[in-house]
Amino acid sequence: MKSPVKPVVEETGDAVTRRRVLSWFSGFGLFGSLIITAFSNLIFIKPRATYGQPNRFSIGKPEDFPSGARVSLDTRRVCIVRDGDKIAAISTTCTHLGCIVSVSETGFSCPCHGSRYDQDGTVTGGPAPRALPWYQISLAPNGELEIDKDTEIEQGSYLRV
Amino acid sequence: MSTQSASSPWKTLVALPETVWRSIFRNPLPSSDLGRASTSFTNFFLHLHPVKVHRNSLKATYTFGLGLVSFFLFFILVVTGILLMFYYVPSTSQAYDRMLDLRGTVAFGIFLRNMHRWSAHGMVAAVFLHMCRVFLTGSYKPPREFNWVLGVLLLLVTLFMSFTGYLLPWDQLAFWAITVGTSIASYAPVFGKEIKFILLGDSTVGQEALLRFYVLHVAVLPAVLSLLAAIHFWRIRKDGGLSRPAEEDALTAKVPTSSVEVVQGPAVVMATSAAAAEAAKPVLEKRHYGIQGLVRGPFTKVGNVPDRSVFAWPNLFMAELVVFLITVAGVLCVSLFFNAPLEEPVNIMHPPNPAKAPWYFLGLQEQVSYSAFWGGVGIPTIEVLLLLIVPYIDRKVAGVGRWFARERLLANSLFMTFVVVNVVLIIIGTFFRGPNWEFVSPW
Repeated sequence: MKSPVKPVVEETGDAVTRRRVLSWFSGFGLFGSLIITAFSNLIFIKPRATYGQPNRFSIGKPEDFPSGARVSLDTRRVCIVRDGDKIAAISTTCTHLGCIVSVSETGFSCPCHGSRYDQDGTVTGGPAPRALPWYQISLAPNGELEIDKDTEIEQGSYLRV
Repeated sequence: MSTQSASSPWKTLVALPETVWRSIFRNPLPSSDLGRASTSFTNFFLHLHPVKVHRNSLKATYTFGLGLVSFFLFFILVVTGILLMFYYVPSTSQAYDRMLDLRGTVAFGIFLRNMHRWSAHGMVAAVFLHMCRVFLTGSYKPPREFNWVLGVLLLLVTLFMSFTGYLLPWDQLAFWAITVGTSIASYAPVFGKEIKFILLGDSTVGQEALLRFYVLHVAVLPAVLSLLAAIHFWRIRKDGGLSRPAEEDALTAKVPTSSVEVVQGPAVVMATSAAAAEAAKPVLEKRHYGIQGLVRGPFTKVGNVPDRSVFAWPNLFMAELVVFLITVAGVLCVSLFFNAPLEEPVNIMHPPNPAKAPWYFLGLQEQVSYSAFWGGVGIPTIEVLLLLIVPYIDRKVAGVGRWFARERLLANSLFMTFVVVNVVLIIIGTFFRGPNWEFVSPW
C-alpha cells in the first residue's frame, strides 16, 4: 500500500495561511532590523562632541581692537571689524568652498576660486553663492568679547562698546 | 617480511617531497587537454577562470588588458599600503613627520610611498580607460547590464579611495584639497551639510577628519572595493565571458546536439532565471546536461566542438602574467624616477594660491568655479545616473564586440563627448588655471 507523497506546502490559492502571515512578519522583522542597524550606524558616526576648536570663544578686551581695525583671526576663521564704538565679527570662511578669505583693500578676497566680497561681506564677484555670515558677538561679564559662531546675525548689526 | 618493513619507512621518506607536493598540487604540469582542464579548476587561484576561453577575449587590441591592469594596480596598492601602515600614524601632530621619516629613515620608505601614490593615480586612469573600452565595444549590452553597473560603482569607490588617501600626508596639498572637496559635498541638496559634518567629524578639516579618512581608506573602502570586484569578476563568467562579435558565436550555435554529452541525472545548478524557466517546463525527454553549470550565452560546451576557444592553460594565464609583469614594471620604473609630491606641512592660515584638488577632480573643480551646486553636485550626479542607466535604455545588440561599431555611432559619439568634455576640463583645471583661479598660460 503506497500512499502518494503529500506536497510539503499545500496549495491554498490566495487564502491567508498561518505560514504566510508568519513569513510576512519575519520578513518584516528582518528588514526592519536591517533599517534600524543602518540608522544606528549613521547615528553612531555622527559625533555628539567635537574635539576641535569650540564655536564659542573669547577674543580679548574691546580695547585690543582700535577703531578702524580689521583684524583677521585666521585660526578662528573670523575677522573682527571695529568702526568707532561699533564692533562686529565676520566669518572669513569663503561661502564657496571653505577656503580662508584674506582681508583686502576693498573687503575680502578668496585665493581658491577668486570670490570677492566688499567690506561687509557682500559678494562682489566670483563664484561665491552668498555673503560672508556675521557672527554674534557679546560682552562677557569679565569684560571680554565673546564670539558665538553657532549664531549668525544679520549683516550690519554691530555690538556697541 | 623483515626486508619489507625495513624498506617501507625508507621508501616513505624518499617519497615524502613528492607526496607533499602532490597533496598541494593535484595535477602535474599538463600535457593533455584533460590535464589543462583539471589544472584550471583544481587550483584555487586559477579556478576563477573558465577552462576554455574564446580567442577574441585574448586579443590584446580588443581589451588592452585594462581590467587586469586596474586589478593588478589595486593589488600593488594593497601590498604597499599595508607596508606603509606599519610606519604611519593618523594624527595631525605626527602624520607629516612620518612622511619625512619615510623619506629619511625607513628602508625603501620613499620607494614604497612612490609606488603607492603612482599606482593610485594609475588605477583611477586605468579604471576610467577600462570603462571607455567597455562602452566603445558595446560590452554593456545584455546580458552584461548589471556588470556595467557594478563597474560604475567600482569607479566611484576607486575615486573615493583615492580622495580619502589624499588627506593622509597632512601637507598643504592634502589639507586644501580635502577642504575644497568636502565643501563641494556640502552643496548636495537637503543632506549636504550633514554629509560634510559626518565625513569630517567636525565643522572643519582637523584631527577627526584625518582619523575618519584613515579608517575609510585602510579598512572600509578596500573591503567594499574587494567585494564589488569579486562580484564583478564572477559576473564576467556568469554572463558568458568577455563580449565578442555575434559572428563569433554563430559558429558555436550550429553545434549539433548529438555531439553534446548527455547525462541522466538531477538538474544542474541554474545559473539564470531563463535556465530555471526552461527547466520548469514539462520535460518530454529526460535530458540534463552534465556540465559545470548552465551559463547564459552559447559559451559553455562539452566535448570537442568546432569553435574558436582555446584552453585557459596556458593561453589566458600567460596573457595575465604578461599584463601583471608590465604593470609592475611600469609602476617600478615611474617610482624610481619620480618622487611622490610632499608639500609644506599644513598651515591653516595660508591656503596655497591656487588650491588645487588631485588631477582627476580638477575637471570637477573647473566646473565648480562656474557654479558650486551645478558644477560640483548637479552635473556629476546626472552623469553618474546616466552611466548607471545606459545599459537599460540602450538595448540594441547590434555592433557588440567591435570597437567603434558603425551601428553604435550615436551612443559612441555621446560617450566620446562626455569623455572629451571631462578631459578638456581636467586639462584646463590642471594647466590653465593660476592664482585666484584665473586663466594663465602654461608656457
